[in-house]
Amino acid sequence: MSKDKIKRSLRYSLIRPISNEKWQPISIPLVAILISFIAAAIVILLIGKNPLQAFYNLLQGAGILPKASYAGYKSMLTDFLSLLNAMTPLVFASLAVAVAFRAGLFNIGVSGQMLVSGFLATIIVGYSGLDAIVAKPLVLLIGIVAGGLMGGLVGWLKYKFNINEVVSTIMLNYIAQYVISFFIQMYYIDPVSRQSQYVSEAARLTLVNVEIGNLKMDIPLGFILAILTAVLIKFIMDKTVVGFELKAVGSNRKAAKYAGINVGRNTVLAMVISGGLAGLAGVTYYLGYFASIQPKVLSSIGFDSIAVSLLGNSHPIGVIFSSFLVSTIEQGSTYMSSQAGIRQEISSVIVGLILLFSACGVYMKYKVSRLKEKEANRKESEA
Amino acid sequence: MMDTVIIDGLSFALPLFIIAIGGIYSEKSGITNLALEGFQGFGAFIGALSAVLIANAFNTDIQSLFYVALLFAMIGGMAFSVIHAVLCIKFKADQVISGVVINILALALTTFLTTQINALVFGTASDKFQLGVSERFTIEGLADIPVIGAFFTNVYPFEVIIVVIAIFAWYLLYKTKYGMRLRACGENPHSVDAAGVNVLKIRFSAVLISGLLSGLGGMCFAYSISANFSSSIYMGYGFLAIAALIFGNWRILPTLAACLLFGFAKSGGSFIAQSMALPSSFTDLFMILPYVLTLLLLIFFSKSNRAPKALGEIYDKGKR
Repeated sequence: MSKDKIKRSLRYSLIRPISNEKWQPISIPLVAILISFIAAAIVILLIGKNPLQAFYNLLQGAGILPKASYAGYKSMLTDFLSLLNAMTPLVFASLAVAVAFRAGLFNIGVSGQMLVSGFLATIIVGYSGLDAIVAKPLVLLIGIVAGGLMGGLVGWLKYKFNINEVVSTIMLNYIAQYVISFFIQMYYIDPVSRQSQYVSEAARLTLVNVEIGNLKMDIPLGFILAILTAVLIKFIMDKTVVGFELKAVGSNRKAAKYAGINVGRNTVLAMVISGGLAGLAGVTYYLGYFASIQPKVLSSIGFDSIAVSLLGNSHPIGVIFSSFLVSTIEQGSTYMSSQAGIRQEISSVIVGLILLFSACGVYMKYKVSRLKEKEANRKESEA
Repeated sequence: MMDTVIIDGLSFALPLFIIAIGGIYSEKSGITNLALEGFQGFGAFIGALSAVLIANAFNTDIQSLFYVALLFAMIGGMAFSVIHAVLCIKFKADQVISGVVINILALALTTFLTTQINALVFGTASDKFQLGVSERFTIEGLADIPVIGAFFTNVYPFEVIIVVIAIFAWYLLYKTKYGMRLRACGENPHSVDAAGVNVLKIRFSAVLISGLLSGLGGMCFAYSISANFSSSIYMGYGFLAIAALIFGNWRILPTLAACLLFGFAKSGGSFIAQSMALPSSFTDLFMILPYVLTLLLLIFFSKSNRAPKALGEIYDKGKR
């Protein structure tokens, strides 16, 4: 075999795993994840630690693999439930970004929408003393409505005044952050924690410290809702007129307009849905994962969700998997840092790398199809 | 009183302005740039890192390394912007995605490296590089003129640098052949290609310029508002700059106006809160001033806003 031929066959075998177009939406992100873990392993090697042990610890910390020992009332199951608890707001937030993205809109305002809905639910229900059976649905309702209104405002500003949604959401993020910080510090501050006072157990969407057997676990009720919502969004997007119109507007505004689709109405609608989902992220975060709000801080989930949703191809089901991956890395990092002695911040670097390489997905696809074409041409000329 | 509003407003508006100019270069060439936030942070990181390393190695005062830090920040910002350029231009990635990813990566990398380097080199457990606030100067004579004099009082040296670079950037974009081609790349890249100019090269250079200028802006923030480098540099200045340039309709002079508006509304807001002697939590309410003002003004001025035609589109030679 000539050298050239070896090179060619080597190259071909490299692209083999991602050459099937049908599987590319899954295989390309997987390859991206693999490459980023290799890159992260190199970084960990460079600082003189064992990458395999680090990744193993990461999975242990996230409750996917068993740890060597557990504190009282803790087990792998409780760790895994806290992972789901942390992951719930991220799923909602990423769905919010994905829906807007499908409609050709870019919702950077998820953090602000989360904060507003979380805050309103906190002061209306969280401090009210209502029974759980009333309080919990009410929290969800306020989340959807508040987030939806705020998202709708952004859509309306775009449709009515041609205000770029990127700008208006950034402005609204700041406004929400400062105004809510003002109200928290004036009326709802807890002098010890320097955060808003804790909401009542009844209003919380996560049941904390539930004793089952000899374990104390946190049960995230919102998680089930998040999965159901993802399925619902997939149904709306794929099977209904509403979803079809949103996607049409997203892929080509002009063509949609000529086809008789009301672009303005769909812009507002997409932002209402997106905002409503962000609102659900807000209540599962501030009244689920946490039980209070830190003034003057926007949650980083709003920005992470943009990337998570892109890693999941803006596909509702893909988003669940990408949220799971990112939450696993972030949840497991504390344990990894204590066991392997690697700084916790490396987890964000790993996530960043995964996102970076998955952004190259289009290029991989393009390269693969080019190579395949070449291969086909070569075979033709040989024959 | 009026003076402090002008002095503080200017020292905030100008770094914002230089970042926004970078954004204009990139977007005018047709590359959407949400990565400004990451560029300014990474630039400031490299600038601050080189300052503390040199100060440590040669036992010099960190204040005197101000210009060195600015230079390295520009280099750092530019180096990091190569990622955006490669992803968007060579790898044909979605430009919005690339921008967001770069912001996340910049925050993650710089926080990790800052703690890691502090532990390895300096043996301290700190997540910041201490820099201090840059010295200021006042131009005697001019400073005595009422109101306008404030523009010459307590000026940071970087403000002068920014003004000089901004004038040059304006000239380059509007008065040179390169600038004309760059702007054409954002409107009709195929015509640029037909004229025998390499569209991809021009776009690449435009993104690098945006990285360079953002790095400068970030370093200025690190040397003034925060007095150190830490993850608090990612306060959203890059996003504010994007808002300013969209508000300024992708043109340099209106963008300056938008930045000044931000700056003065910000300093004015905190001035009002201070002078009314309200409790500190009320400052938060006045902090929304620049953002509310922008939204209101946008309602009146956005109708005529028009992004560069080919903005965000991947250049495909075969497509006409």
